[in-house]
Amino acid sequence: MKNTRPSISFTPAPLAFKDQELAAAQDMVRACMQCGTCTASCPNAFAMDLAPRQMWRMLLFGLTQEVLESRTFWLCSACYSCTLRCPRGLPLTAAMATLKRLAAAEGDSANRKKALFYQEFMHNVEQNGRIQEMGFMCHYFLAMHDPLLPLEYTPLGLKLLAKGKLRLGGRGQRGRLGPLFAKVRSMEGAS
Amino acid sequence: MKKEYGALVVGAGIGGIRSALDLAETGLKVALIDARPSLGGILAQLDHQFPSDHCGMCKMLPLTQRDQSSQYCLRKGLFHKNIDIYLSTELAGLEGDPGKFQATLSRRSTFVDPTRCVSCGLCAEVCPARAPSEFNAGLKQRTAVYLPVPHNIPNHYVVDLDTCQRCWRCHEACPTKAIDFKFEQRKDFHIIVATPDQRLAQDIPLWFKDEGFPLHPTSSGEDALKLLAEGLDCGLMLLDLDLPTAEAERTLRRALELRPSLAVVLLASKAQNGDKDGDKDRAAAALLKLGAREVLAKPLGQAQVVPWLDKLFMRLVSDESFSIEAGAVILAAGFECYDPAASPGGSADLLLYGSHPGVLTSLEFERLASPTGPSQGHLTRPGDGKPLKRIAWLQCVGSRDVKKQADFCSSFCCMVSIKQALLSRRRSRGEVETAIFYMDMRTNGRDYQRYRDEAENEAGVRFVPARPHTILPGPDGDILVQYFDYAGELREEVFDALVLAVGARPPRSMERLAQAAGIEVNESGFCATRSLSPNRTSRLGVFAAGAFGEPADIRGSLIQAGAAAMGASRMIRVYHGPRDETPEAEPEYTDVSRQVPRVLMALCTSCPTLERNVDSGLLHQRMAVLPGVVKVVDVKRACTREGWDALRQEAELAAPNRVLIGACLPYVHVPRLRELGEALRLNPALMDVVDIHTASFAGRDTSFGGHAACRASCAAGSGEEHGVCDCGEASRTKEMGSLLAMAAAKLLGADPSALPKATPVSPQALVVGGGLAGMTAAMGIADQGFKVVLVEETEHLGGQAMNLRYTLEGDDPARFMEDLVEQVEKNPNIRVLKDSRVVLSRGKAGRFVTVIATGEGVAHTLHHGATILATGGHEAKVYEYGNRVHKCVITQLELEQRLAAGSVDASGLKGVAMIQCWRSREESRNYCSRVCCQGALKNILMLKKRNPGLPVYVFYRDIMTTGFAERYYTEARRSGAIFIRYAPDSRPKVTFKDDKPVITALDPVLGAEIELNPDLLVLSSGVEPGDAAEIADLFGVGLTPDGFFQEAESKWRPVDFLKHGVFACGLALGPATMRDSLLSAKAAAQRVVRILSEKQLSCGNVVAEVRDTLCARCGRCISVCPYGARALDLDRDRIVVDELLCQGCGSCMAACPNSATVLRGFRDEQVMAVIDAALAVQPSAAAGL
Repeated sequence: MKNTRPSISFTPAPLAFKDQELAAAQDMVRACMQCGTCTASCPNAFAMDLAPRQMWRMLLFGLTQEVLESRTFWLCSACYSCTLRCPRGLPLTAAMATLKRLAAAEGDSANRKKALFYQEFMHNVEQNGRIQEMGFMCHYFLAMHDPLLPLEYTPLGLKLLAKGKLRLGGRGQRGRLGPLFAKVRSMEGAS
Repeated sequence: MKKEYGALVVGAGIGGIRSALDLAETGLKVALIDARPSLGGILAQLDHQFPSDHCGMCKMLPLTQRDQSSQYCLRKGLFHKNIDIYLSTELAGLEGDPGKFQATLSRRSTFVDPTRCVSCGLCAEVCPARAPSEFNAGLKQRTAVYLPVPHNIPNHYVVDLDTCQRCWRCHEACPTKAIDFKFEQRKDFHIIVATPDQRLAQDIPLWFKDEGFPLHPTSSGEDALKLLAEGLDCGLMLLDLDLPTAEAERTLRRALELRPSLAVVLLASKAQNGDKDGDKDRAAAALLKLGAREVLAKPLGQAQVVPWLDKLFMRLVSDESFSIEAGAVILAAGFECYDPAASPGGSADLLLYGSHPGVLTSLEFERLASPTGPSQGHLTRPGDGKPLKRIAWLQCVGSRDVKKQADFCSSFCCMVSIKQALLSRRRSRGEVETAIFYMDMRTNGRDYQRYRDEAENEAGVRFVPARPHTILPGPDGDILVQYFDYAGELREEVFDALVLAVGARPPRSMERLAQAAGIEVNESGFCATRSLSPNRTSRLGVFAAGAFGEPADIRGSLIQAGAAAMGASRMIRVYHGPRDETPEAEPEYTDVSRQVPRVLMALCTSCPTLERNVDSGLLHQRMAVLPGVVKVVDVKRACTREGWDALRQEAELAAPNRVLIGACLPYVHVPRLRELGEALRLNPALMDVVDIHTASFAGRDTSFGGHAACRASCAAGSGEEHGVCDCGEASRTKEMGSLLAMAAAKLLGADPSALPKATPVSPQALVVGGGLAGMTAAMGIADQGFKVVLVEETEHLGGQAMNLRYTLEGDDPARFMEDLVEQVEKNPNIRVLKDSRVVLSRGKAGRFVTVIATGEGVAHTLHHGATILATGGHEAKVYEYGNRVHKCVITQLELEQRLAAGSVDASGLKGVAMIQCWRSREESRNYCSRVCCQGALKNILMLKKRNPGLPVYVFYRDIMTTGFAERYYTEARRSGAIFIRYAPDSRPKVTFKDDKPVITALDPVLGAEIELNPDLLVLSSGVEPGDAAEIADLFGVGLTPDGFFQEAESKWRPVDFLKHGVFACGLALGPATMRDSLLSAKAAAQRVVRILSEKQLSCGNVVAEVRDTLCARCGRCISVCPYGARALDLDRDRIVVDELLCQGCGSCMAACPNSATVLRGFRDEQVMAVIDAALAVQPSAAAGL
């Protein structure tokens, strides 16, 4: 259970992280007063291993490793409920996004794996101008290098197929969003 | 002629009332104004106040010279000979300089003539309009003509013109023609309409045919001006903006030149497509600046324009503006409760406020719990009447929320919620479940923590540290509250009602008021003050009192108001020079003690209800035969000057030695009785006023429906059942006769012998303690022209404040203290005795004799009129957690000093931990020390300023940053300090390794043990009072269990002792910041000035006496006396009564087994005779006295 977490011992380290991005994420939640409104507002909190309030707390304590190992921020669906309701007006969704980016770029293999879904999703959108479920599914399963994974999702896939939610789709919009993605990349590269 | 006042007090809530009383008691004339039509501010709506759970507002009334003001319930009304009250009045402008301000006041008409209104309520019965009742916080409806506060005295109906439907039924129903809608003036109210619109010009006269306004349509500005130039007495001009812009502007300018009081209203058509750049809007805005009153959107419709114009007319001819002169101004406009339904900035949708009847604001709950409220005090849900069994309180609604522009704490809501929860538990004998959801429970007064503990441990109020995020409609109209507890579990609870503890907001009229008074506001919209001069606004001579400068509870407001009064009083004396010193001649009364009682009875006959409902001939007959009554006369309109002149003439003819007046509103007549007494040379104590007015009409329940209901039941009673209703003339006459007979019987028995002699006042004050509070108080008294002796135990002035190096707000306390010490030492009115102690003190208010021993062995004997005890306190000594053993453990004060001195180098530290509430807020020191949270914050901010990367960890229970200190808490969090809450049963553990502290504690958010290895451990050790037992004993004052001085009443007399003439301030009174000490010192100084500015102190007419021959010295009366006025004099072996302290409550009389104690003016014989008269028994012994 949550309250039987092993004890954490640390010597207070200087708060400024060497990592700029991590420091930025920490800055975003500095004024947090642990009221828990974010946790309460989060529609995905049930599936998270760390409640958002706990994750912010760990981030403030400088427990980077624990934060990056959690799947909490990966489960953020960017609905902005927490940002809207935070009485301190903290940009929590942005902080979640920062953590995702950080974990994808610098995280360990587990984190990189978690990032694959996002990568494949964006890749698919870039290519097709919108999401094409079939293609995306196939690429994701391939990238995961896990032959059992498709089996696990088979029942869900069949259900979606029956409802007509999985389409091969046309190629009308193919490549349409290429320039947009290119621009974003050049902007990210510049910064 | 312009009226001259010593001071103008804006706002007649408790803050304003306290300031006004404090000034009026020193002999200054005070104008007290309020924008509301009633007195008392928000307090009129609150019945219960923590920590005593009852009202007690009357305890603010003067204790000495108390016959100068009426001694009645202060919630009902305030009457003081030096205070003029103007209601429905706002400050419109303030010119001039301190000592001679010219204030322009504008008074909104209530359309009811108060000299005629008899509060019969017939108008409200016929009124068809309804609006939410302000008094009942919107839980009930009121009519457009209504009583603002049902219990006020005098209480007159007022018309709310905005709600009025103009049916005029109230005007027709009024039996005294008190309601005036200015029908007569309509035909003389000329209106010019300047419009190029032919159609409008034709229509308008038709529309207003019924109203009778003379209308003058013109097609151009020129024509309109011509009419004005010809001398047309025009009241209103409607100026169409479809006229060419230049012409419209010229017309406006010229019209206002010709007739400066002319009201000009602009008619603007809706912006059309051609007017994309908003030319018209800009033109309208420019004209509004030039003096146009408002803009009316075209096209006009009859249904909309006629009522609007009619109401505007009524306002224009009824409202008045007048100016007064005042030496100083006190702003006490209070605050507004945050409205969750406000848009923008509200949160009604998230909190279900307004959409769910079970969601209430704390003010609404207060009304619900009030016996005068919508449910007579039964806790039922407004919508469906379900009894409330489970109630939740939600703290910090609209406070401590940066998103709602509220980066401040409202200070009072925590205690209010505890009080409400406690009250609910007690009233229901524990049946109601109560839960308070909070972020920090701010119980930061001296006694508040114990109050919370009592609520939690004895009464069973549940405290939940969580901020519920989701409020949903639950089953059966209940409310579902979802929250995450500290362990991270999602919880759901169902409640019958949810009370939103709404915070404070600046008053709605703040912008106007700030502009009119010329003061600055701070970023939260409250009046801007500085922390070390907390009662001063940005304008010299204008002071902030009550909650106007910073949200505060009643106690805080009163202290602030007292300090503001001190500031104003000092300002008036400095800028206005010494007052005219010729004292008012003390009236001399003839000694009538050896005369046979001769009662003159005067009956006011002006009330129409009296004529209609009472048989006056019969009444005269019955009264004339009463014992002692020599004459019964009728007086027309006793409420007017003419009436009183007639009464005086009658009295001079009859030469009575008792006067009894039957009229309405006895409270109001007190000053007149005094005048009459002077004219007749008869002591006003031998006069009385009886309310015969209430008895003259039925339906005394003035809430609407009362009168009609009574009459209906009367008709149904068909005459046989007498006593069902008292509407009949015979019973009315009988009741009135009985009332008069009772009063006559009481007067007959009144003791006509002279009062005890007044005590002359020694015009000097003694201040014990030369710290911040003592010095400030001494300065406050000395600046007002009185001599002060300041006694300090040590060899230096300054006390605790000398240890401070910086403040949270960034002031320089060392510099401040240096200046203060210099000022005190150089002040010619202050004599400083250092290294001295008080060894003996005797006497009472006005006349103390005190012996002071100095270090050189010389003893001074001092005669003084009042005393201030400011013996201070100090930082508590800490011997735990390794303090004084390990160098790395220090207190907050030491850290502050080391940071200032540079012996702690912030950049060389690797981590700092702080532990708050060390040994505070638990027995044996169960109070919040107030200074430690702020002290920790200022140290954190200083550390972070010097080393932004330094990790700082704060272990705390509740952070007590009330008021604007909250913003420093936000700042400290933002700067990266980490706050870890701990509970008293799981406090952080400290061990040492390599001479460095190792702290292990439970982080409740993570639910995990954490271990910290900081360089420095800082303890917040709190405040302890100095050893005051000896001094308390010397002056005969009390101490709290913690060793602080015990004031007379924690709310209403916060700096007074039970023993009159002795006052306390500063740290000795309770934990205080520098700001708190300054305020309490100034308030205490003003209390002293109140006494010293009297030449002599006399007691009231009703005081207790002891008949020694009957007294058994059992001492029961001593313990029951709530004012500490009685003592056993061992030397003379008798009970002595301090006449100044005795307030005539009669507790002693009830307690005395031998009837040895008697109350002047309320002797047993009198009371018996009154009962006999009431029962219409032949008067007994009293008649023969």
